[in-house]
Amino acid sequence: MRVYKYGNPRLRLIGNISFQCAAGQAPNVSAPAITVGVIQERNFMSAVEEAQNSQTGNVTAPKPTSTNAVPVLNRVLDFLSSVRFGVFQLMIVILLALIGMIIVQQNVEGFDKYYATLTPSQKMLYGGLGMFDVYHAWYFHLLLLTLSLNIILASIDRAPITWRIIKGRKLTASRVWLNAQQATGTVSIASLNGEAARDRVVGALKRFGFKSTVTEQAGKTYVFAERGAWNRLTYLAVHVALLTIFTGGFLTAQFSRDGNMPLSPGEAANQVSQLSFGLNTVSEVQVAIPFTVECTDIQQKLIKLDGPITADNTVDWSTTVKIKDEYGETNAVVSLNKPYDYRGYRFFQASFIDLGNARTVTLLVTPERGGAAQTVVVPRNGSTTLADGTRLDLKSFQPDFTLTDGQPDTKSGEYNNPAAVLQVTSPSGEAKRAFAFKSLPEGAPVGNAVLGYKYKLINFERASFKHVLALSKDPGKTFVYLGFFGLIGTLCAVFFFSHQRIWALIEPKNADDSQSPANEYDVVMGGNTNRSKMGFEDRFHKIEDAITGNNQEVQS
Amino acid sequence: MSATSIEPNAVVPVRPQAEPRITLRSFLPAIVVLLASGLMLMLRVQFGGRFMPDSALMMIALACYLTAAVFHLMNLYAPSAMALRVGMWTAGLGVFFNLSSWLVRWVAAYDRELQIFQSQGRSPSELGWVFRYIPFANLYDLSLAFAFGAGFTTLLIAHRKNFRFLGAITLPLAALILVLARFIGSEINDLQPVLDSYWRPIHVGIASLSYGVALVCFSIGVVYLIKDGVKIEAMAIWAALFGLAVIATVSKGSVFLHLQYGASTYFPLPDGRKMPLTYLRADIPWVGPALALAGFMLIGVIVAFGIYLAKNNETAKLWGHRLLKGSLVVQACAIALLVSQVKTMTDIGSKLDPRNYEAFGKWLAEQDKMTPEQIAQIPAADLISHASQFVAANGSKLILSLNANPVELAALITVLTATLFVLIFSFRTERLRQALPALDKLDSLLYKTGSVTFAMLAMLLITGAIWANESWGKYWQWDSKETGAFVAWLTYGVFLHTRIARGWSGRRSAYFALLGFLFIIFTYLGVSYLLPGLHSYA
Repeated sequence: MRVYKYGNPRLRLIGNISFQCAAGQAPNVSAPAITVGVIQERNFMSAVEEAQNSQTGNVTAPKPTSTNAVPVLNRVLDFLSSVRFGVFQLMIVILLALIGMIIVQQNVEGFDKYYATLTPSQKMLYGGLGMFDVYHAWYFHLLLLTLSLNIILASIDRAPITWRIIKGRKLTASRVWLNAQQATGTVSIASLNGEAARDRVVGALKRFGFKSTVTEQAGKTYVFAERGAWNRLTYLAVHVALLTIFTGGFLTAQFSRDGNMPLSPGEAANQVSQLSFGLNTVSEVQVAIPFTVECTDIQQKLIKLDGPITADNTVDWSTTVKIKDEYGETNAVVSLNKPYDYRGYRFFQASFIDLGNARTVTLLVTPERGGAAQTVVVPRNGSTTLADGTRLDLKSFQPDFTLTDGQPDTKSGEYNNPAAVLQVTSPSGEAKRAFAFKSLPEGAPVGNAVLGYKYKLINFERASFKHVLALSKDPGKTFVYLGFFGLIGTLCAVFFFSHQRIWALIEPKNADDSQSPANEYDVVMGGNTNRSKMGFEDRFHKIEDAITGNNQEVQS
Repeated sequence: MSATSIEPNAVVPVRPQAEPRITLRSFLPAIVVLLASGLMLMLRVQFGGRFMPDSALMMIALACYLTAAVFHLMNLYAPSAMALRVGMWTAGLGVFFNLSSWLVRWVAAYDRELQIFQSQGRSPSELGWVFRYIPFANLYDLSLAFAFGAGFTTLLIAHRKNFRFLGAITLPLAALILVLARFIGSEINDLQPVLDSYWRPIHVGIASLSYGVALVCFSIGVVYLIKDGVKIEAMAIWAALFGLAVIATVSKGSVFLHLQYGASTYFPLPDGRKMPLTYLRADIPWVGPALALAGFMLIGVIVAFGIYLAKNNETAKLWGHRLLKGSLVVQACAIALLVSQVKTMTDIGSKLDPRNYEAFGKWLAEQDKMTPEQIAQIPAADLISHASQFVAANGSKLILSLNANPVELAALITVLTATLFVLIFSFRTERLRQALPALDKLDSLLYKTGSVTFAMLAMLLITGAIWANESWGKYWQWDSKETGAFVAWLTYGVFLHTRIARGWSGRRSAYFALLGFLFIIFTYLGVSYLLPGLHSYA
């Protein structure tokens, strides 16, 4: 005889009452009376109140005393699907997130410095509890899982109530009931007959976007009107969007790949290095990618052209690459904030190696035997040929020139003493090394002519030694983005629209009073909304004004 | 249109005496402020660098907010249409100057880079597009926008006459944010290239507006609790705890430990910039003992009000109020002493606290790019002597500035303000309660602003995630700032859900609205100043 269906409070209440009577116990008179009231009234309450009452209903109804397994399961499900459990879990997530903020996480820059300041017992405690990587700890994942479960169950639990609110429309209402609503009012209108009065009410409601249903009963006219009933469903959409994001996050955590690829012009790579964080160590793992990336040019657009190549002085970095695979060759430019997509991989500018270099050098080349000096520009790794056939190859660029074991080198990464190292090849094929300085170092044994020319570095375009590209492949991203758009859309819907309902009872004014003119009607109105109460009240009173034809603003 | 005939025995509630209809005109102040600020922007473009600097406009905005707050408070205690009108006008002016300052700063940032380019003989066409210069580059910019968000939301809510009083709480808070901005300093810096994205105005714009709405939501929460009958003494205990936390942590804990307050020094760099040396703190005479005294009085406040709340002891209540007033006066003196001495003190090198030399020595070693392991092996005596050598060589060059400790100073002023407000609220509290709108109206507005904050924080997180994905290829990295915003968002989520969870609505629900804002402040300041991470620039 017991009808006890999970997730439907109304059925559950009825089930409880029946159960009590069937068991032959003295029925608790007051409890069913209250719960029945709850059921009847549910139709006109706001979502919040309705939800509250459905919970209160759960409690006021006596719990079944049977010991079989079904109620236990029900109780577990009740707990898992309760808002309180959700709130409790959210608070645990908040707590763990705060721990993750206060205890520096092991993938954060500066972790080694922080770790060095901890006492051995702190290291053991935090490490043992997984708090150096709290967002990837098993308990955090478990929490997200139970939270997802809670969202799903709570949504299922509420769906029937929501559906009843949307579909189970109350078409008639008594005066007393109307006057107990959130917004209430009674207006009188002079009208030729009842139909005209009804049309006036329906017309006014329509003007404010309400769709009306008219019911005639016992000589009285009832108008039920509502707008935005779909808004009751948006909470479902919000939670579906959240779950979509969670799913995407799971896919990312499981299947995403990313790694770095440092490149200087002329270099090529077919693997990326992935960082793996441990407590005391950061190790690199090389991961192969299905194509080869060859760097052809790197450029750094600076604010102050003669300033440092630091991030502060940079407008943009870009790397020009050639991607080679079985499908052929593709040219691409990767700039900061302008990533490039290829075969599911995304190329980003990740960082750069802070060692001064030059994208091009401008040289003043003076013939040893007299004659006009000429200015030539040589690109990085490139060459140029003078009029007489002498070829200049730019072998390297040293920002702070020095010689180490006879080989050109740099003392620092700064442009303190920039020099271009050239290979000069005469038309006859003889090759020699030459240096071009911006200003000659004192007592330097250089500056003599090499193969008939003297070389001076007049200018150069600053660029760093290497750019580090990051490559990432993330199959979860699509889900996450989908969830994002769903969330934004539905949150807007939730907070900027609401389900508003208005009931009106139209009856001839003072039907018993023979003195009163027969063509006056009373319109008793009541209405409620699930959200934006004050906005609804404003609208309600505007509708009243529209019915009476009084549209003037009330001066206060 | 009122009920002209009533059925016998039927209960027909009379419609509450009509509030004015909401029309576009109700929003006129907000609209006028936006238009007038746009005009200021055009004037700045027209007049160029000769126009008022943005920092001056900000100071005017601050003065307006303070004036408006005073008139709003006056109106709350002694209702007067005149006071309210002056309050609303000055609030409007404050928002106008606030927004103008921000807009003028946009042009100023453009002009600055234009000059750099022109001085190198490069064409203006090489400059970035206009959104590169939008003032959302550091905490100063964000604070300006945050205060605007709060002021503007106050103006919007003021379209309901019932809620005009809110300015009494939101405007002082907005003023505090501008005070913080003043301490941070209005210098325009070169933009980090990673920030040069069209996502920046979207993401940071949403941040500042959502923070502003959250501030208003917080204020409504406080008012709700007052209206709901929460004892002012209980609020005083919370305010005193907050005050104690601030006093105990400023100046690296030296106030209670050594009865000293040390202000951070600046080391002037050759290129004109100033490097803050947070470990080299100069002792500011009298400030440490004064703050410690204020702190001890706050402990007394907690004890006295604790006894009063537990045992309803009227003597304890009386003493609690006395101590609270005393603490207010002492705090005010301490801040006055601090500000005046920081501005006038000379010969900083001789006033440094040698207790910090070891920590400073470590910092110097870090600047030499030594690893934590290497630094750990340096004996303390070497670190101290290294620091002493630096001080001997550079002590005379060090300078003091209010900009060196923006958060500490702003926190001290916030404690002072909180103390002041608790005292104001404790004055004729019943009368104040009666002057406030009905509890359900406050609850409705609390829910509305809380919901808007929740939605906007969601957008903040989403736009941040999309931007991060476009720049770094990862949409979520649990960086402290994003985690902070996430925590605040969750807290507002809890706030919304407590309303439908049994037994949590009403006062308890309001506590979550307050907590959410505290997390926002933590995200906004704490993360930037206390925790490492990707958002270290702002």
